[in-house]
Amino acid sequence: MFFNTIKNHRLLSAAFAFGLAASAPGQSVILPAPRLLTTLPMGGKVGTTFEITISGDDLDGITGMHFSHPGITAKATAGKNKFAVTIAANVPTGIHEARVMARLGVSSCRAFTVGTRPEVTQKKPNQSLPQAMELSLNSICNGVMSTKAVDYYSFSARKGQRVVVECASRGIDSRMNAVLIIADAEGRDLKVDRLGGALDFTAPTDGEFIIKVHELTYKGGAHYFYRLVLSGVATGAPMPRHPTARTVSSFSWRSVFEQDVSVSEEVEPNNQFSAAQKISLPCQIDGRFFPAADVDTFEFTAKQGEEWWVEVVSERLGLPTDPFVLVQHVDGKGQATDVAELNDIAPPIKPSSGGYSYDGPPYNAGSADVLGKLAIKKDGLHRLQVRDLFGGTRSIPSHRYRLIIRKAQPDFTLVAWALHMNLRNGDRAALSKPVSLRKGRTMAFEVLAVRRDGFNGAIELDIEGLPAGMSGHGFRIQKGKTRGILIISAADNAPRALATAKIFGRGVIGGEPVRRPCELASMRWPSKSHNSDIPAPRLFADLPVSVGGSEPAPITIRAAEEKIWEATVGGKLTIPLRLIRRGDFSGSTIQLKAFGVGFEKCSVEAGLKTDKHDAVLDLAAMKLPAGEHTIAFYGRAVSKYAPPTQSGKPAKKKDIVDIVVSEPITIRVLPAAKK
Amino acid sequence: MASRCLTAIVLLAALLWLSPNAVAAAAVRMNFANDVVPVFTKAGCNAGECHAKAGMGQNGFRLSLLGFEPEEDYEHLVKESRGRRITMAAPDQSLLLLKASGTVPHGGGRKLPVDSTGYRVLRNWISQGMPFGGAADPKLAIISVTPAQGTLKKNSAQQLKISARYSDGSVRDVTHLALYEANDKAMATVSDGGRVAVSDLPGKVAIMVRYAGKVGVFNAAIPLGAPVGKMPPEKNFIDKFVFANLKQIGIPPSAGIDDSTFLRRVTLDIAGRLPTLKEAEAFRASTAKDKRDQWINTLLRSPDYADFFANKWTMLLKNRRDSASDITANFAFHSWVRDGLLANKPYNQMTRELLAATGTIMGNPPVAWYKRVKDPKNQIEDVAQLFLGVRMQCAQCHHHPFERWSQDDYYSFTAFFSRVGRKPTGIQGEDMIFHKRGTAEAANVKTGNKLRPAALGDAIPKIAPDDDPRLQLADWMSRKDNPFFAKALVNRYWKHFFKRGLIEPEDDIRDTNPPTNPELLAALEKHFIESGFDLKALVRVITQSSTYQLSAKPNAHNGVDRQNFSRFYPRRLQAEVLLDSIDQLTGATTVFADLPAGTRAVALPDNSYNRASPFLKVFGRPEAESVCECERAHSSSLAQILHLMNGSDIKAKLRTTKGRANQLAADKRANDQKIREMYLVAFARAPRQAELKVALDYLEATLSDANGNLVPKATAHRQKLEDLLWALMNTKEFLFNH
Repeated sequence: MFFNTIKNHRLLSAAFAFGLAASAPGQSVILPAPRLLTTLPMGGKVGTTFEITISGDDLDGITGMHFSHPGITAKATAGKNKFAVTIAANVPTGIHEARVMARLGVSSCRAFTVGTRPEVTQKKPNQSLPQAMELSLNSICNGVMSTKAVDYYSFSARKGQRVVVECASRGIDSRMNAVLIIADAEGRDLKVDRLGGALDFTAPTDGEFIIKVHELTYKGGAHYFYRLVLSGVATGAPMPRHPTARTVSSFSWRSVFEQDVSVSEEVEPNNQFSAAQKISLPCQIDGRFFPAADVDTFEFTAKQGEEWWVEVVSERLGLPTDPFVLVQHVDGKGQATDVAELNDIAPPIKPSSGGYSYDGPPYNAGSADVLGKLAIKKDGLHRLQVRDLFGGTRSIPSHRYRLIIRKAQPDFTLVAWALHMNLRNGDRAALSKPVSLRKGRTMAFEVLAVRRDGFNGAIELDIEGLPAGMSGHGFRIQKGKTRGILIISAADNAPRALATAKIFGRGVIGGEPVRRPCELASMRWPSKSHNSDIPAPRLFADLPVSVGGSEPAPITIRAAEEKIWEATVGGKLTIPLRLIRRGDFSGSTIQLKAFGVGFEKCSVEAGLKTDKHDAVLDLAAMKLPAGEHTIAFYGRAVSKYAPPTQSGKPAKKKDIVDIVVSEPITIRVLPAAKK
Repeated sequence: MASRCLTAIVLLAALLWLSPNAVAAAAVRMNFANDVVPVFTKAGCNAGECHAKAGMGQNGFRLSLLGFEPEEDYEHLVKESRGRRITMAAPDQSLLLLKASGTVPHGGGRKLPVDSTGYRVLRNWISQGMPFGGAADPKLAIISVTPAQGTLKKNSAQQLKISARYSDGSVRDVTHLALYEANDKAMATVSDGGRVAVSDLPGKVAIMVRYAGKVGVFNAAIPLGAPVGKMPPEKNFIDKFVFANLKQIGIPPSAGIDDSTFLRRVTLDIAGRLPTLKEAEAFRASTAKDKRDQWINTLLRSPDYADFFANKWTMLLKNRRDSASDITANFAFHSWVRDGLLANKPYNQMTRELLAATGTIMGNPPVAWYKRVKDPKNQIEDVAQLFLGVRMQCAQCHHHPFERWSQDDYYSFTAFFSRVGRKPTGIQGEDMIFHKRGTAEAANVKTGNKLRPAALGDAIPKIAPDDDPRLQLADWMSRKDNPFFAKALVNRYWKHFFKRGLIEPEDDIRDTNPPTNPELLAALEKHFIESGFDLKALVRVITQSSTYQLSAKPNAHNGVDRQNFSRFYPRRLQAEVLLDSIDQLTGATTVFADLPAGTRAVALPDNSYNRASPFLKVFGRPEAESVCECERAHSSSLAQILHLMNGSDIKAKLRTTKGRANQLAADKRANDQKIREMYLVAFARAPRQAELKVALDYLEATLSDANGNLVPKATAHRQKLEDLLWALMNTKEFLFNH
């Protein structure tokens, strides 16, 4: 199943690359879209109102600031890009999403943290010891790192007092790899953390201590923001941690599946076979990969022919772990025989390797966690070992896992991201893609499924909650496959609007229809080249969808008539396409491929100088069966784009390459007439 | 027939008369490996630059390196090219002998004259029909050197006798066939015949003896024999063993150093910087009896210590920037080393985390080592040389010529790294590292035998497929009885503080390269292990010793001492430390690309800054290409002298607006106070009266420009202060740690 998917994807990629020449020098990638890149502060305390300043790309014409939770509201205040944000008392703590509605539509989202502590904003200059900014315990400071700088803070503590200091950065969409140092009053380093963790510090004396913060390689700028958290913590109490946004891989873990089995704890020592922890199946066990090189061994009996599914969740909790499970049968003499080695969750499609050639999207939907089948081959005693393949030398108590052994509960999880294009020389255009459609534009999402416990059925994709003037269509994930496409279109006259939509999938499990939500992944920040800037995607809390209303799409492709196109099995179908061009384009043709089950090998070359083109489909070659099918054409075009100017004087046109997708076209294939 | 018999008898008689070895050889049937190969080795025929050259040997004739493969040598010699190298009917006409004796032109020259023992051995072997020898023939068991050790007077000589003992109990004198090499050629030379001639340099020298793949050693002590007198106080075990050695060989130690010299020396050695003015004033003013020990502890607690030693270790661990995208990995790795040193993570723990690193570089920075060193062969070679002081490279292709290590040893060691799994990351060139379950093994490329992991000269418990063999390796290295790990480290650190290791080179520890003070090395090793591999404790015990605090100034006798530590051996400041020191003295700041102003050169994370710094290049900052400390240039050169005298960057530092000269020029204090400040910063001492007078005279004299016009007083004062700083900077007292 997996390999078929890869193969298909490669075909698709190869076709894509073949049909669409690499972008030429001087081209930009993707038409302008609003991107919210910073807010300062990056969060606030519940029940307070405070001012924030935002910045980003293409944020002109802002009409409002919005959040993923309705309890967080904002009003524009005097000054450009400034808002008074109010966090209602009932807003849950954690990471929420902030975005603005700009001229071009809704912006990309930025993590916005809601907490319970007082917050301050960094007062510069504080780039030297004498300038250290004093902080109170149990407070949060929102700071922005400058290039080639170290930010200094100070705090007071009594001898023996425990203080936990954390610098949240990557987990809140910052580009900063934070280095956190606690020093004495003279600035001499005492304790350092560079792994994005926290410093658990016990003051050796009464007095003042210095906190130094800098970027690992001393980069800086507006995108290198951080939240410095100081916590006075009682001895023995767990370390408080700042929340972090979820990784893409985490979409495939849904604890709701396991609610009917209680969770027990791993009991050490259980490293050796002789001390294996006895369990009975099914089970859910919480354990830790601690200390270094920890091996947790469990023992159970099972009968030949039984089938169990084993899942380990750890990496998907945001931990840098790589769980591995070994199951062995133990005979009467104590001789162990391997039954199963269970390793990573394979990505549903191969992610980009970062090389020259495009070989996948800049997202990895797989995981280092374990999800696999355990087929019992012999009656008797079995031992199961869990270990962290990354844990040989690291003793980190917070590296935890959950082991689940269950009878098959076939199901699926979904994740979607806006379709990315391939470009030259490592440029994967790993830009965040806010769903801010121009009028007449259609946008495509790749939707990936992780199937579990043997679920093999088709998954129908759909979207709901679109604003007026927009429509969506899902191309199903076929039986046994892991990739589908979903497109949304804005009508030519779609009004400016913003709504929160939901993508979901429908399948049939055990004869019962089920509906599963689809998570949305996007980039934290624009990465214009893999070589110098590693793409950093994450999951987002929701899917804001908008029509900007101020600009039309440069081109719209749709069937000449809005109808169901009919043909006969094995015949040919000619669909006259309309290419509605609203500007100039570089080149004279556009090479179109097609989304839609059965249309994967379809290829059409359409002229960019004419308004009409006939797409001829050879249904025999496609082996398209009788029934209703949907097709959408897609390709890549280089438009000559000029942004509007305040003066009204035309701006210089730029070549911008972007994905073009047609509106969906429905085809009804009729059975061949009986002879 | 009668004539041939007669000829043979005459030849035999001649051989019997000529060589006692040949007598034995002629009386019994010869053995190619035992009798012939040593002749080739002694003559250098099977050296790497001659017929054992990698590939095709020399001019079509190939021998195995140092005769480690007698079967192959026999094939090449006797059978190759239709046997044209041997003429059995007329041995003297054999191409082998004609070439070796120089009778016909030979690229390698005349190696075996016709009247040499070696020539006669080969001739006799040919006469016997070129026997290879049988399975029952005796095998060489050991060689012994007589005497094994001795005390030699200066400028005297000692004849060695080398005996080869075979598996049948027989013994041969192989003195004339053995190879000799002194570990310090300035102290001793050895003739081809085994006569050791020592020079007038006192100390210990070892003569390595090699014969047919076996090694032995002659250890000579060369006393100076001078009156020793009263020794400095013994502050710890280091003094006990150093002074005992000095008494034994009659070298009186130099006097102890004053506070200023101590302060400057130890600050440079531990923190890689000069003491600040404030520190120098405070230390001089302190009357605390233990102020030296206190200062050592202060330095060890400081991040400067971590920066300085991280610089040392990251260079050795090849933290090299080959492309711009290496930056994050390099910073992360450097930081990991630096933070570990700051926290005083035990050395065995740091090594373990490095060798058995897993995960991603950002999640676990020692993984970066696996980005730099990808081939398991390079991994074990680096590990062996850096952490064990053993050079294994030779054993990849053949038995180590100076050591006991075979190819099996080499590949058994490689097997520890055979289960290193790699997964791709989104970053080009970077992999996630994990332990790949399975049986660890590596194939000997010559025999094809698959070998399980084995430590050097030691057994390792069987490693289960589930266990990461690298952790077993780390366990073995940390064992208290490990013969290499702690020894290699204490020797490396000893060299850091004393310029010379107890074993030299510091990463070539072997039986044939013994330490100059074995008791001291053993005691340091023991102390280090018992401290829990505590690096700071090691630095502390070294720097607290009276030995470390001896003057660099020689007394009437110990000027010739180069290895007994009877005095401190001055050494030029390394590139980074010198640059930082010049900044400290001049008050200038060197700006490094994309780093905060004020970043010290010793805190640079990788080699990339060398490219933009002529200073660092000229003064020999390494490029992190090798695990050998020798990559760092310690020597002085004309370019260095010219750079210090005329370098544009040096001039700019002297003249910088925020610099010391400019600040002192605006300072209202008297000139003697300004001079005092400059001396305290440069040397951690006040100027002597004579120095003060010269400096005062210079500052107070008028200054004329090139046209003879008087330079305005304020300008002249500033320029003269710059000149004084320049002069101080160019003294040996500044450029050296002494």
